[in-house]
Amino acid sequence: MSVPEKVTLVVLPSGQRGQVALGSNLLEAARQLGVELESICAGRQTCGKCQVIVESGAFAKHGITSAEGHLSPVGEAERACCREQGIEGRRLACAARILGDLVLSVPEESQARKQIVAKAATERVIEVDPAVRQVYVEVAPAGLEDGRSDWSRLRLALLEQWGLTDLEIDLTALRALQPALRQGRQALTVSLWHDRVVLRVQPGYAERVCGLAIDVGSTTVVVHLCDLRTGAVLSTQSAMNPQVRYGEDLMSRVSYAMTEPQGTERMHRAILRTLNELAASAAGAAGIELDDVLDVVLVGNPVMHHVLLGIDPVELGAAPFTLATSEALDLRASEAGLHLNPAARLHVLPCIAGHVGADHIAALLAEAPHMQDEVALLIDVGTNAELSLGGRQRMACASSPTGPAFEGAQITHGQRAAPGAIERVRIDRATLEPRWRVIGEQDWIGPGSPDELPASARASGICGSGIIEAVAEMFLAGVLTADGRFSEQAAARSKRVRQQPGGRVSEYVLVDAERSASGRPIVVTQNDVRAIQLAKGALYAGARLLMMALGVHQVDRILLAGAFGSYIDPLHAMVLGMIPDCDLTRVHAVGNAAGDGARIALLNVQQRREAIRLAGWVEHVQTATAADFQDEFVAAMALPHARDSFPHLQEHLPPDLGAPGERPRARRRQTQREESRQA
Amino acid sequence: MTEEKDITKIETQELIETMQDDLYDGLAEEVVAGVHELLRREMTPYDILTKALVGGMDVVGADFRDGVLFVPEVLMAAKAMKGGMEVLRPLLAETGAPQMGTMVIGTVKGDIHDIGKNLVAMMMEGAGFKVVNLGINNDAEAFLAAVREHNPSILGMSALLTTTMPYMGVVIKALKEAGLRKDLVVLVGGAPLNAAFAEEVEADSYCRDAAVAVETAKKLLAIKRG
Repeated sequence: MSVPEKVTLVVLPSGQRGQVALGSNLLEAARQLGVELESICAGRQTCGKCQVIVESGAFAKHGITSAEGHLSPVGEAERACCREQGIEGRRLACAARILGDLVLSVPEESQARKQIVAKAATERVIEVDPAVRQVYVEVAPAGLEDGRSDWSRLRLALLEQWGLTDLEIDLTALRALQPALRQGRQALTVSLWHDRVVLRVQPGYAERVCGLAIDVGSTTVVVHLCDLRTGAVLSTQSAMNPQVRYGEDLMSRVSYAMTEPQGTERMHRAILRTLNELAASAAGAAGIELDDVLDVVLVGNPVMHHVLLGIDPVELGAAPFTLATSEALDLRASEAGLHLNPAARLHVLPCIAGHVGADHIAALLAEAPHMQDEVALLIDVGTNAELSLGGRQRMACASSPTGPAFEGAQITHGQRAAPGAIERVRIDRATLEPRWRVIGEQDWIGPGSPDELPASARASGICGSGIIEAVAEMFLAGVLTADGRFSEQAAARSKRVRQQPGGRVSEYVLVDAERSASGRPIVVTQNDVRAIQLAKGALYAGARLLMMALGVHQVDRILLAGAFGSYIDPLHAMVLGMIPDCDLTRVHAVGNAAGDGARIALLNVQQRREAIRLAGWVEHVQTATAADFQDEFVAAMALPHARDSFPHLQEHLPPDLGAPGERPRARRRQTQREESRQA
Repeated sequence: MTEEKDITKIETQELIETMQDDLYDGLAEEVVAGVHELLRREMTPYDILTKALVGGMDVVGADFRDGVLFVPEVLMAAKAMKGGMEVLRPLLAETGAPQMGTMVIGTVKGDIHDIGKNLVAMMMEGAGFKVVNLGINNDAEAFLAAVREHNPSILGMSALLTTTMPYMGVVIKALKEAGLRKDLVVLVGGAPLNAAFAEEVEADSYCRDAAVAVETAKKLLAIKRG
């Protein structure tokens, strides 16, 4: 029997990928990768639920070229179904056979297990002092003897009744002025921006002015709709960043902008469409009109920031990573392409450097380490980690190229955090038997669980928090040595530790075939451990360089920001050596701090000034070119570290680990020579 | 395994194996001591280089390729190798020992990552090559100037970003226009690269890691030299 030829299949937005047989049915092939597509008609090409979109082009990151011609041609039944559903241009997975390498997007409605992006705004005390406020005035009526314009008389009324001077009026408000005066019988509610510009006039008494706080992350976009009078969050909406289809990580997107003539424009339009949709659904959920939205605060990392403003991000793709502007911006929301009240304003928080953007400034605003005497380390973990260290006296920030391993990429069975992904792992120190929990399921699965699991409890892969725990637990259980190698004794202790077929490379079987979604075992390989060592080494080295820059020897508290930060277990992160030693009770997940900071800046203009001050005050440390970076990076690859000690981990680390800095001598040489002699 | 041995008392073959173990374990002092002992026994510098040092680094390279060893261990081994080389280098020149060749290596313009590239440089030195390391952020002029000055047989380029890797194509084009490309083996590497990319920019080969770089360099030079 001949071995079927394999091709590569990558499925977005989950990022699941794998080798599938040439000629296989796409719906089945996707399932083999653990991608669950909705299907009601069970492959009869009638329900139109299993839609996919072929992403054409060369994907350097995956090393493949994807094209529509890599699926079998559209047949009659499929064409008819797509026409009926109004989804021409999409393909039905059940109808298509795979003829070559493919990158596919699964639209939200076709995902059998919808992505959860839950980011409820945390309740915290913010003094409400917004940029836009409403005032009620009564304007003197015009008369034959009074030749002044209505705008002159409104200005006079605002001076006399509110003490406001030097006012301007937005054209859209001017257009509405006379009808409003008539309708309100000379009584108006005026919305003012910074008490300087009239944005809106409404007849009579009105009481509603809203704003949007927007955090554009490279993966997730969050919009908070707030009442600017009360400060209340009326609705929070989030979605995947649609730019994911142009590149999963930031540099791929800059690459896309560089190589595609329309690249920046396409990504710009995609994100605006999403933002406008989120704004509309937030307004709908809150029962308000988009016309009531008069102010917006926007934050994002530098690449997102540039693309959202329609600025070509090409300069951010290479050293020296020069920003078009790092300053805070006051713009019209309509200029930027947001469909709100036509006079609505947009405030963009400042950036610090080419990799440390407005989102990080916003996170600082939200967590306010600069208001404390103690030394805090704020980390936003993603493909690129941004870190800030310090307190009231002095702060420094840096970015560190952690790569996508923490998001499950570059990991054999890695995937994004979605239902079915393993997010928690424990390994028995004696038997090396694992227990794990998958997203969307309450119960842990382990030795005592039934062999037959419901489909939703079958693991489809390992997400970022899962791989962190898996590697940390493997180390704690003695499967891994401090230098990240599989211990030679581990294979003798459990059959879960085995050699990869045909090689001398080890792996740990985390989930047996019968308990996984794909029917194949889920493993953690030596190379997976290496990928995590690189990622965590880069993160730790970044923190160390900041500590050295400030002359700090101990961190008092650690704040883990971002969606991912919320799911990292502090103990495991520290055992792995991702973060420096700290009292474990003082390591906290702070959720979407960037979104919270955007909301704070939306509700309080003092905080916008504070953001500008911070952007100039926080020192930026360039990690990659720092003289000590290589040395720190290399030392930080060991578990938890080659020389730094972790007093707060003392009771958790294996007792036979030895002191940091002590090198195991003559690690293997013997086995190597024995093997070669046997061979 | 490494209980204290009196290296003056053991057989030469055992000493070579011990030195290979010491290299593997990154024990620079022991490697240097071994080199001195072998010189005392009147082994030629070239034999010491190839049998004890390069032989030891071959094992390191193979284990690195297979994930058994990792960056910190390889750096330690390379440092130990360097210690031995410092003793041997002047003697090799004196005795007119055959040379493996010269490599010029650097990270391309716009890219400031250099750890992976440094690892390649050290492993190439470990394999007996003379390496000229240009560091980070090199434009085409810098590469061309170094090629003209050092007349290498191998040029290595590294990039860690999808946004900076296309610059390798610019350098290769400039080499061609200057008439320098034909005499060079051009190797490229870095996380976002692959073999298809190397082909596209007309490099001779993509190297996945430092161990593969050494193997590829040796192989392609052997073919080139017939």
